[in-house]
Amino acid sequence: MSVAEETIFVEGSPCVVLDAVGKRFTVRSSEQSGWVSRNPLKRMARRIVGRQARAVTVQALNLTSLVVERGESIGIIGRNGSGKSTMMKLICGQQKPSAGAVYASSTPIMLGVNAALVPELSGDQNIVLGCLAMGLERAAIEAKFSEIVELSGLEKSIHLPMKGYSSGMSSRLRFAIAAAVEPEILLVDEALNTGDAQFLDRSRMKMDELRANAGCVFIVSHSLETIVDMSTRVLWLDYGDLVMDGDPQEVTAAYRQFTAHLSKGNNVSAQKIKDRAREQLVTAQLMPRVTGRRKEGFTS
Amino acid sequence: MVDDAVEAPVQALSVDMRNLGRVGARPRFLEYLVQLWDFRGFIAYDARARVLSGTRRDRLGSAWLLLNPVFNGLTYYLIFGVLLHTSAGIDDFIGYLVVGLFIFQYCAGAISEGARSISSGRSVVQAFSFPRAALPIGANLREALRAVPLVIAMLLLVILLPPGEHIGLKWLLVIPALLLISPFNLGVSFILARIISAVGDVAHLLPFAIRAWMYGSAVFYSFDRFVTHPQLLQLLRMNPLFNVIDIVRSVLLYNRLPEWQSWAGLGMFAFGALVIGLVFFWQGEEGYVRG
Repeated sequence: MSVAEETIFVEGSPCVVLDAVGKRFTVRSSEQSGWVSRNPLKRMARRIVGRQARAVTVQALNLTSLVVERGESIGIIGRNGSGKSTMMKLICGQQKPSAGAVYASSTPIMLGVNAALVPELSGDQNIVLGCLAMGLERAAIEAKFSEIVELSGLEKSIHLPMKGYSSGMSSRLRFAIAAAVEPEILLVDEALNTGDAQFLDRSRMKMDELRANAGCVFIVSHSLETIVDMSTRVLWLDYGDLVMDGDPQEVTAAYRQFTAHLSKGNNVSAQKIKDRAREQLVTAQLMPRVTGRRKEGFTS
Repeated sequence: MVDDAVEAPVQALSVDMRNLGRVGARPRFLEYLVQLWDFRGFIAYDARARVLSGTRRDRLGSAWLLLNPVFNGLTYYLIFGVLLHTSAGIDDFIGYLVVGLFIFQYCAGAISEGARSISSGRSVVQAFSFPRAALPIGANLREALRAVPLVIAMLLLVILLPPGEHIGLKWLLVIPALLLISPFNLGVSFILARIISAVGDVAHLLPFAIRAWMYGSAVFYSFDRFVTHPQLLQLLRMNPLFNVIDIVRSVLLYNRLPEWQSWAGLGMFAFGALVIGLVFFWQGEEGYVRG
């Protein structure tokens, strides 16, 4: 913590604020490590109190602070397991941060393959149910129903139970349902790029439309072209750390260089690129400016 | 763990937080109730759709919702009435048994479905942000909808199977009795749902607890025959499940008006369980999101 510059006043009200957010998971590993008691009773006792020899803590995202203003389009890049999806899930509330808090001006909506539905119900029932769960009124759902069916491209299969759907079909339906609300804060996980060319075209068009209307957008993608195309600011994450935060061209260029060195096996030079990028990173520290009481939650 | 290799400069940002809300924050209690009310459409649709889709693959479809309990009752009649001639010292034993078992079936179903609703609905919980109490309420509503054909079957069996009871005005009291036990089921569901979402192991113990509750509710025997200790009997009679079964038996089988104490006890339990359960569940609201 070296340079302490003057406090910058962020004008207006931002869309999303991450205040020292971190995420840690405790998972069980199958790797034999540490001391394991040979006495089965002792092993069981340790298990019951939750102190297992094989429990491993994974730091998915280290403490990160971020202020995202209205009109910004944030692209998130990084290798597999760098914390991109974790960050998205924390922002939209699918996971609870283990440290810090995420603040938003309205409920963020994630467009992706994660919006799981009820498998026993048919596609059309799931549309109504999903829309109700997002807080839409019955009249609004009826108005949007045919648009959702059309976007999903399911045609007659919409009346079949969802458990009979292929993974592509159900992810198309999920996308179509999530796209039905026009969210102020939109998160797009590019994993939704499943589906045939025809659906890709349609979903891209819908996404452009949503992006144009949204207050701010977060996009995760492995395609750097998509990121440069769609974002106004790019974050590069690696091993749960924010490495770089800035102009899409600059950040993607540095990341491209980094991965190029890695794929050639030059781990040392790759690390140097990363370190150089991190040296220029300015960590944000939030100073909440609160006059009057803050909202406790959203009144949907 | 902050990487020490590279020390990043810190920039203080002053941010206007007034219009921001914390993502996933638990609203205040009254606001929570208002949100729940706004999600009534979701709760009702979910319950109705799932009840009707349960039997869609069968040729007779939704008729099974009624046929199932009817066959159930006929089996009891065949075994206890025709084959064994059991009466356990009880007038209209078949009616006694049918009323006890059917009402128990409704309560046990509502509580165990409600208790599991958070853990089994994890995908919906992760996908959408809505007041989580909607799930236990939905599960209870689902069981209440399933109870409608169950109660119709119960009435049919009581009328048709010998000795064959006569329909009377008192039968209307079945409705308030069932309406009073439902909030109790919901309250218990809330408490168990929060516990099970934190400690999944409890779900495995639940069937045993429910079985024990059945034995303690005079479903297929009468307290008078086995319990002689007056204080113990008093205690057993507090059980809301016993109370509701007793009320329904009094009006359907024995043409008796239930005592006011039964109603008072039932009402107290219903209201108490609902309030305590809802507050307890609401306090854990932020913990139901897990990755």
